[in-house]
Amino acid sequence: MSAVSDPALSLNSIDKIYRRRGKPLVHAVKALEMSVNKGEIVALLGSSGCGKTSTLRMIAGFENVTRGDIVLAGRRIDQMPPARRGVAMAFEGYSLYPPLTVRDNIAFALKSARMASKDVEKSVAEVSRLVEIDGILDRYPSSISGGQQQRASLARALVRRADLYLLDEPMGQLEPQLRAVLRGRLKNLLVERGMTSIFVTHDQTEANALADRIAVMEEGVLQQFSTQKELRDKPANLFVATFVGEPPMNVFEATVVNGERVRFAIKNGPTLDYPASEIPQNVRAAIGRRENAVIGARPHAIRLGAGANEARIVSNQWLGDQSHIAMDFAGKLLVAVTHSPIAARAGESVHFGVSAADLHVFDAATTSAVSHGLEAARSPLSPK
Amino acid sequence: MAHLELQAVSKQFKTGKVLDGVSLEAERGEIICIFGPSGSGKTLLLRLIAGVEQPDEGVILLGGHDVTDNAPETRGVGMAFQNFALFPHMSAFDNVASALTARRTPPDVIRAKVEKVAALLKISHVLQHAPQELSNGQKQRTGLARALVADPKFLLLDDPLRNVDAKLRYEMRLELPALLKASGSTVLYVTQDYKEAMALGDRIAVLLDGVFAQIANPAEVYRQPATLSVARLFGEPTINLIPIEPLASPDALKIGVGGAWLSFPPSYAHAVGKSCVLGLRPESIVVETVNSRESFAVDVVAVTPLNEKTLLLLRTADGREILASEAGTDEAPRRRGPAYARFDPSAVLLFDAASGRRVPPQSA
Repeated sequence: MSAVSDPALSLNSIDKIYRRRGKPLVHAVKALEMSVNKGEIVALLGSSGCGKTSTLRMIAGFENVTRGDIVLAGRRIDQMPPARRGVAMAFEGYSLYPPLTVRDNIAFALKSARMASKDVEKSVAEVSRLVEIDGILDRYPSSISGGQQQRASLARALVRRADLYLLDEPMGQLEPQLRAVLRGRLKNLLVERGMTSIFVTHDQTEANALADRIAVMEEGVLQQFSTQKELRDKPANLFVATFVGEPPMNVFEATVVNGERVRFAIKNGPTLDYPASEIPQNVRAAIGRRENAVIGARPHAIRLGAGANEARIVSNQWLGDQSHIAMDFAGKLLVAVTHSPIAARAGESVHFGVSAADLHVFDAATTSAVSHGLEAARSPLSPK
Repeated sequence: MAHLELQAVSKQFKTGKVLDGVSLEAERGEIICIFGPSGSGKTLLLRLIAGVEQPDEGVILLGGHDVTDNAPETRGVGMAFQNFALFPHMSAFDNVASALTARRTPPDVIRAKVEKVAALLKISHVLQHAPQELSNGQKQRTGLARALVADPKFLLLDDPLRNVDAKLRYEMRLELPALLKASGSTVLYVTQDYKEAMALGDRIAVLLDGVFAQIANPAEVYRQPATLSVARLFGEPTINLIPIEPLASPDALKIGVGGAWLSFPPSYAHAVGKSCVLGLRPESIVVETVNSRESFAVDVVAVTPLNEKTLLLLRTADGREILASEAGTDEAPRRRGPAYARFDPSAVLLFDAASGRRVPPQSA
């Protein structure tokens, strides 16, 4: 095999099936195909039960793979015991050693690797400052809070030299006042040292902040694996479109008429209407004429104050750095977000428009994306 | 005259004083969000107004009448809770109707009222279901419907969106104000989520350490927080706080930030020589590649996208960490490394370091 760049980690056709006596089979991970580049930071994002944690545990070696193989740094690791895989990890069920102080917990792997004690001290000090546990290094795990234990466990993983770092909700329990700064420090460390890492989270803010690429999972299936920008601008399907983004994409069922003008007749609502000249030929071809389409636009792409459409304002909520405006449109809520406050009261009606460049079209039956603005959609998991 | 009024209400338990002389006036039909961290006494405040707890001191006035010693059922108060508190053996319909049946309302009137409020809250299709067949969101809306159906003059909502999933919580946040306004009730809404407080409240009452640190509309709480603690509770990411001591110089005031001396508005002349804390919201910091007279050198340590914004973790020359946020995510990926930061002096907040209280600018 002579790939241009060898991936650090490859998951090849991984399946995970849980068989428990007296219970139906659970197919937790289905035909998962993924590779992670050296130095890349990857988030596994999804709601509970989507298969993200099973995936992380298979890579760590806490779960067997049912089918498929895992290759890390050129070695097949899926049959190896966890300790031999060259993986550092911080997650639930992999707790701190109770008889050791926090300091000794963090230093343990370094001492076993016979690092000079002066260097051990320096490494431990550095990483514990980073996650703000430098004040509790001489305490025992049982005497610190759950959040501190989590950070100590994170520090213990980060301090090691490993081919891969596996982190479970790394900033999960932090108070909001600390979270943004610690995320920044963690990202800086991972980038600076080129630490290949995979972390699991259900929080897209955390995924966006830390990851180079995000793998969105649902029902055991990898829905899309790409950058934050691409997830936002080119969601592969309706699930990704309405899962990613805060607030998520506005979507409406519609029928498409494609002629001199391209018309999207929204169910129980008006028709969005664009001159065909505004939409490239290949996009019009992809959209075709569809009885059952779903069209969508991100809240930030709804232009208020001008446009052919009208909606009644349900609420206009300013949150300090942005405003969320909810409107009653085609029997549903339509949400627009602006970065500065706008003057509009509940009950008033506003005009709005969506430019052709911001309109997403999905097939209602398959839920796959057909087009994103002025581009036709391509298969989400195929290589570029 | 205020529709709901608390006058110096205090309540103490064996473990200590929870409410220490809180006063509040709500107008008829107003929505006031009681916001504070857990354990600050928010729920207790509602229980005192409902009459299920008695204050040690102080007076509670509803509709202009002193009700401090009146029984709960005579107060005209409706409540909904974060743990739903539905009767398990009754259908959703009967749960909602239970607020009316006690008052001998005719059955057809009850039916009409329940169906109307159910339609508003989008639970018409599950009215015949038992509570255990409802999703958390449906349970929460059933509890809310029960509180709303009797047209209470006063509505007390104890973190009603706490236990519903993020998506529904967001939708309800958008729709609740209209529902609450339509009820005409005077509403006290308890929450621990600053966005919810800003989105829903005509005013926000910030409860900290047993007293209201500030009672004001959302814009004022955000732009003119009364104290450092209030400033830290509103905004994502949290406001940057930098210790400074303004100096008088021949032509202007100066402050030391990140190893540089920057001009400071003359309206803060009264703060010269005092130990202060500068509050800088992340969105009022601009990060550039070019130096200017009013900027200071920083190292861009990390760039973390945050929901249509980009967050920059900066390290100043004197080793301080600062967060800056920019609208949009579309610019070419910014390089980490050296840059310059500046801020709009009119957007800064100044606090007294000792008391934590905001030091407002003085007009010349």
